[in-house]
Amino acid sequence: MRKRIYILAGDLHRHIGLFLSPFVLLFAVSVILLNHPGIPLGTPAESQARSVQVHSIPGLEKLEGMARVQHARQILRQAGLSGEIGPIGYSSRDGRLTIPVSRPGYEAVVEVTAPTGLASIRERKTGFWDSLIYLHKMPGPHLANIRGNWLVMRVWAWSADGTAWLAIFLSVSGVYLWAVLRSERHVGVFLILAGAISLVGSLYAICG
Amino acid sequence: MPSAVEAWSRKLHIYFGLYFLFFLWLFCLSGVLLNHPKWRITQFWPERELSTSELRFSPPRDRDDLGVAKDLMDQLRIRGEVTGSITHSPSGGFDFRAVRPGDIYEVHADLVKGEATVSRIHVNGWGVLSMIHSFSGVRRIDPTLRPNWWLTGMWRFSMDALAAALAVLVLSGIYIWYSRAQSRSGGMIALALGILALAGFVAGLF
Repeated sequence: MRKRIYILAGDLHRHIGLFLSPFVLLFAVSVILLNHPGIPLGTPAESQARSVQVHSIPGLEKLEGMARVQHARQILRQAGLSGEIGPIGYSSRDGRLTIPVSRPGYEAVVEVTAPTGLASIRERKTGFWDSLIYLHKMPGPHLANIRGNWLVMRVWAWSADGTAWLAIFLSVSGVYLWAVLRSERHVGVFLILAGAISLVGSLYAICG
Repeated sequence: MPSAVEAWSRKLHIYFGLYFLFFLWLFCLSGVLLNHPKWRITQFWPERELSTSELRFSPPRDRDDLGVAKDLMDQLRIRGEVTGSITHSPSGGFDFRAVRPGDIYEVHADLVKGEATVSRIHVNGWGVLSMIHSFSGVRRIDPTLRPNWWLTGMWRFSMDALAAALAVLVLSGIYIWYSRAQSRSGGMIALALGILALAGFVAGLF
């Protein structure tokens, strides 16, 4: 029975670990990029602007939260755009809607002048490295009432959560697999204690 | 008989995994919390505690803004990272913000009178967990910023070390798996599925 559990734990640790490894590498690389914003990434953002005619949605400015976002998506479809919509602005002075939209490696701001239906689009391709940072930070703690308005973002949110929970599972199964080994027992116990002490010590120094 | 490279890969995999075990849990849990701002336990901001105190201080010795802010923090017994812009007025007003996980301090000082009003926002443990996840002292919009509190720098180093350790864990894990011929096909499928799923997100193809 114990041998079966050991074999099962080993198989799960190996296969889940291999599946998860690209996701873990994404989070690891993006941490370095986030912590060292001065690293030259070699891919300057490409910007361009264009205009398209759209049918503006009457009364959109009176809506709030997700309802406003869902109606704004109809405008984006007419402009051939998709992505996660950010906070939508409205200027009553000139009847202009501002719709920010983003996805990995891409961001755009669509400004729609309601009376004319003219949408001016400022687009920016931010490159591969920025897409890693984008995925690391999304969905994140801000704009909770509209976040996840794009299906891909909802799927990514599950993936990011799944990565975290599976990483915890991998560490627990890894500890079990190590505990069964006798050869690394002493050094392993020392390292667990050293890690715990350095984490608790750091947290105490910073927050205490 | 495993080769020396495989034996060392295995040792490194075990050692890094065990040392960074609790660091990994901390960042995994805080990451999940940050992704769920609607969960009841993550509603720490409405439950924040506010307090204000009036304090006196001696004239700061430093001339530059950050030096003055640090001097005032020492005198006012505030610990943390000076963040955002420091503003001062011709009449001697000097305002700045200092942050550490759990506490945000807004300092409004009058350098001429030697008086300061310190507003403190204190959040609960969930708030600390959320703040510690991104406590690096740097911002992408201003690459010139550097941590100005040594503990922020140390924590940023810890995050870098965890990231490097995760890369070592992944690469050593792949090497250990690949060097064992009997478990290659299932592992190849798992790795390929992971790469394909992630590539789809990164390329924005979905």
